[in-house]
Amino acid sequence: MSNVISAKNLTLAYDSGRKEIIQNASFDIRKGDFVFITGPSGSGKSTLLKALYGQLKPKSGNLVIGGVDLAHVKPRKLQELRTHLGIIFQDYKLINEWTVAKNVVLPLMIAGYSMDVQQTQAHRLLKHVKLAEHADKYPLELSGGEQQRVGVARALSKNPVVILADEPTGNLDDYSSNVIWDLMENACQQLETTVLVVTHKIPTIFSLPYRHFIIESKGVYEVH
Amino acid sequence: MKFIKNHLMFMLPLMAILLGIEFYLVFDRMTDSYEKGLKEGYTMLVVTKKPVTLTRLKKHNRHIASAETIKREHIVSEVAKGVSKESKKEILAALPYFYNVGLDSYLGTRELEKIKSDLEKDLNIKRVETFGSSYNSAYRLFSFIKFLLKVFIGFMGIVSLLLVIKQMEIWKYAHKERMQVMEIFGAPLMLRSGVLFRIAIVDAFIATLLTSGVFFYVKYIWAPQSGIDLMVQKQEALFKTTDMAILLGAALILVIVAVYTVVVSSKGVRE
Repeated sequence: MSNVISAKNLTLAYDSGRKEIIQNASFDIRKGDFVFITGPSGSGKSTLLKALYGQLKPKSGNLVIGGVDLAHVKPRKLQELRTHLGIIFQDYKLINEWTVAKNVVLPLMIAGYSMDVQQTQAHRLLKHVKLAEHADKYPLELSGGEQQRVGVARALSKNPVVILADEPTGNLDDYSSNVIWDLMENACQQLETTVLVVTHKIPTIFSLPYRHFIIESKGVYEVH
Repeated sequence: MKFIKNHLMFMLPLMAILLGIEFYLVFDRMTDSYEKGLKEGYTMLVVTKKPVTLTRLKKHNRHIASAETIKREHIVSEVAKGVSKESKKEILAALPYFYNVGLDSYLGTRELEKIKSDLEKDLNIKRVETFGSSYNSAYRLFSFIKFLLKVFIGFMGIVSLLLVIKQMEIWKYAHKERMQVMEIFGAPLMLRSGVLFRIAIVDAFIATLLTSGVFFYVKYIWAPQSGIDLMVQKQEALFKTTDMAILLGAALILVIVAVYTVVVSSKGVRE
């Protein structure tokens, strides 16, 4: 299978390159892989994810996602790349002045889909995440678990090539966490979407085969 | 209520800036015609040994615009009343040539002195009288009023600009999160800033209409009833339809710069 993400001697750093977080990491992630990235707090899990959606430029080495080298990407190309990613955040990052339905179809809106398509998709996705009755509500009217389901629905709305999730269940109770894992498992299984999840711990109930990377002492290692 | 407050907080300083611009335009037109009057009313006296042409005078200084000969016969008839015809002829022969010299613009005393010294270099010119003192007092008063109004308009503009900057900070605070989320999902700049641009452009139109409304009122209702001669005589200068285009242009430029600054400063930093 072809690689969707590929890192070669990747070094990531903050403070204009002075503070290195990840050093000389090399790994490949194939289409349809479900990948957990774990590691202690501050090890650089979220930093790696930031680099994957182009918020942090690699200090050295290569980081290629969907054929685009993020070390040398131009702003317009990065903008286009982001439209093929589904990103889920621990703090949801929903737009609070927009309704739940409008939040869900943000990627479709960016891609220029018609209002009709957006409405149909919003209804379908919200039904999928069991929030159809909340379509006209605003994010702050929902619980944390519900808000994260909206975040997942938004990430799935344009059938992304890759889903990047940063501690998606970090703030949620067990029930909400299980719903989120189910949704991501389904996306990976049914749509062959590559899913990369940064988390503190891998869920105990998880039916899909997965790959596990640990970030430790500035290195990225796969656990076999 | 919050919606109206948000609009007013940008519209009021924008209106203050537009009022400043319009005040400046009106004042400029008013003083232009006053300056024209002063300029047209002013001439300096040049006394020459032999007749001189305007072209020759212009060669000495580019500000010289006209030269009107003062008929020497008039001077003789004034100063030699009761004198015989022969004597009058002799006086006329001995009398130098007098010219009222007009200038192309309203100049300061320093420039007048410069013209005087330029002319006096010509050996044919006997004397130049600039009537500096009376000219100077009128000019100083005029300049002082002009300066005061410009300072006032400038001050008003600075205060309003500070209020606009304050509003830009509020916009940034209110829209930053939305714009950053949209950016992460790949939204182009125009899409993420669309809401802000719409708000600001609507405000620019409303502020232009309100400012124009104020000056329409002043021109067509207040000025004719004010009983102030200057206002009645110069009613046309109070507001022109082209001013509306100038105001709209200024308002749009200002909002586009303001919104663009907010959008660019709200971009997720690519570290």
